[in-house]
Amino acid sequence: MTQNSLFDIVGPVMVGPSSSHTAGAVRLGNLARMITDNTRKSVTSVEFVLYNSFAKTGKGHGTDKGLLAGFMGYTVGDSRVKEALALAKTHKLNYKITNHKKANHFPPNTARFVIQLDDGSALEITGHSIGGGKVYISQINKDNVVLHGETPTLVLFYKDKPGMIWQVTKILAEKNINIADLICKRRQRDIDAFMTITMDSMLLEEDVDQIRNITDIFTVWALNQVE
Amino acid sequence: MSEHPLPKYESFKELLQYCSKNKCSIAEAALRWESANTGKSREAILERMQTVLQQMRNTVKSGIATNEKSVSGLSGGQAQQILAFMKKPECFLSPMEMRIIAYGLATLEENARMKTIVACPTAGGSGSVPAVLVALEDEANISSEKTVLGLVTAGAIGEVTARRLYLSGSAAGCQAEVGVATGMAAGAVVETMGGTPEQVLNAAAISMQNLMGLVCDPVAGLVEVPCVVRNGLAGVQAAASASMAMAGINSFVPLDEVVSAMAHVGKLMHPSLKETSDGGLAQTPTAKKFTKKFLKET
Repeated sequence: MTQNSLFDIVGPVMVGPSSSHTAGAVRLGNLARMITDNTRKSVTSVEFVLYNSFAKTGKGHGTDKGLLAGFMGYTVGDSRVKEALALAKTHKLNYKITNHKKANHFPPNTARFVIQLDDGSALEITGHSIGGGKVYISQINKDNVVLHGETPTLVLFYKDKPGMIWQVTKILAEKNINIADLICKRRQRDIDAFMTITMDSMLLEEDVDQIRNITDIFTVWALNQVE
Repeated sequence: MSEHPLPKYESFKELLQYCSKNKCSIAEAALRWESANTGKSREAILERMQTVLQQMRNTVKSGIATNEKSVSGLSGGQAQQILAFMKKPECFLSPMEMRIIAYGLATLEENARMKTIVACPTAGGSGSVPAVLVALEDEANISSEKTVLGLVTAGAIGEVTARRLYLSGSAAGCQAEVGVATGMAAGAVVETMGGTPEQVLNAAAISMQNLMGLVCDPVAGLVEVPCVVRNGLAGVQAAASASMAMAGINSFVPLDEVVSAMAHVGKLMHPSLKETSDGGLAQTPTAKKFTKKFLKET
């Protein structure tokens, strides 16, 4: 297992009642919101599908409120998490909560976000809460990823060809950004690939644009760390 | 950057070796480790720890100021009952112990009200550490300079534990939440009261082995029964474990092995006892009757 900060253990400062089922749910919602915002499309509706322990005990733990509040951008220590259902009305967010109680292959605390966007496309994000408020996203649409939201992260989709990593990391080096982890995956040879880069600090928006402008980079998502 | 050798420890054994070699406390080793890993200064880390400690005090304070029930009605008001009983002539525990019970209850009652708390290491186990540290401040006039180092020590114990054990009821049962919390709190007390690094780890080992195998069986999936009373008791166990260790009692099995055993027990534990409310107290006739009514109403 990975090492934590002392403040992952003594913390987070959060709204109760459960670090895995409430705080973790808020953070998963925050991550899903950040990914959605990066598509630069608006949300027409969102379905939260809860699995296993989330589905069985989520209601009592406020998992539904946590996911919803997090998706609306409220953070883990915000006392308004409690009012998420009423806030969804104010925000005019069209949502649905589904408890999936049948056996499945997912880990104990899993949530899947099925997000309908205004251009008719859909975004599916699957994430897990692993205790003490720690979470990770394991899947975005068909791509397997590992996004913890603990450090600033770039997700890039690009044409599978030589020199792409170099072009991106060159910009990071010029901006004096230290890379913590870099993972590249090919979806199809010579066609497309994606990369996730976690960093010690986030690039300025104009520097992210510089990466966006590299030839054959299709999409860049810049995800800040979640609170 | 630092005048000290970088604390690289993979286990409690190595942490202890670092402390004895560099003649420092576990809190000091943990501060250097955190500083090396985050690039933040020792002062900045301690300052942030103080704000966390302040939130713990605030939660205790607001928790004992009200007897408001939770939404489910399953909890609320017990902290005040303890503080009221504390003033009666038939109260037979010391004010320190009574306060620890009240503060643990108060924290979990606030948690159940969806108020702001500090997960330590989780929300369900959040009572022990504030209970002992805030009670030491209020009842024994211990300074916040000392209790904050207790909090750092608690963090260090939880952090090394978390490298081998997922700290969640759904992964390993309540032993990984309240069980680990008592180990953190026991170590925190020893550090605050001036014990040695060996005593810190012994206190944690003694406390954690006593809750080995504890299941997570919340009634109706709510973090209330048995979580609230369990957190009231947990702080007292932590304080007692700290006293045992400072009296010179050693844990026969070292803390590293206690944690590994806990992880193994967590794997063996049946899924019905890991935060699914499919077993234990959650499936008793009383609990089932309540659950049916609660789900209908909400």
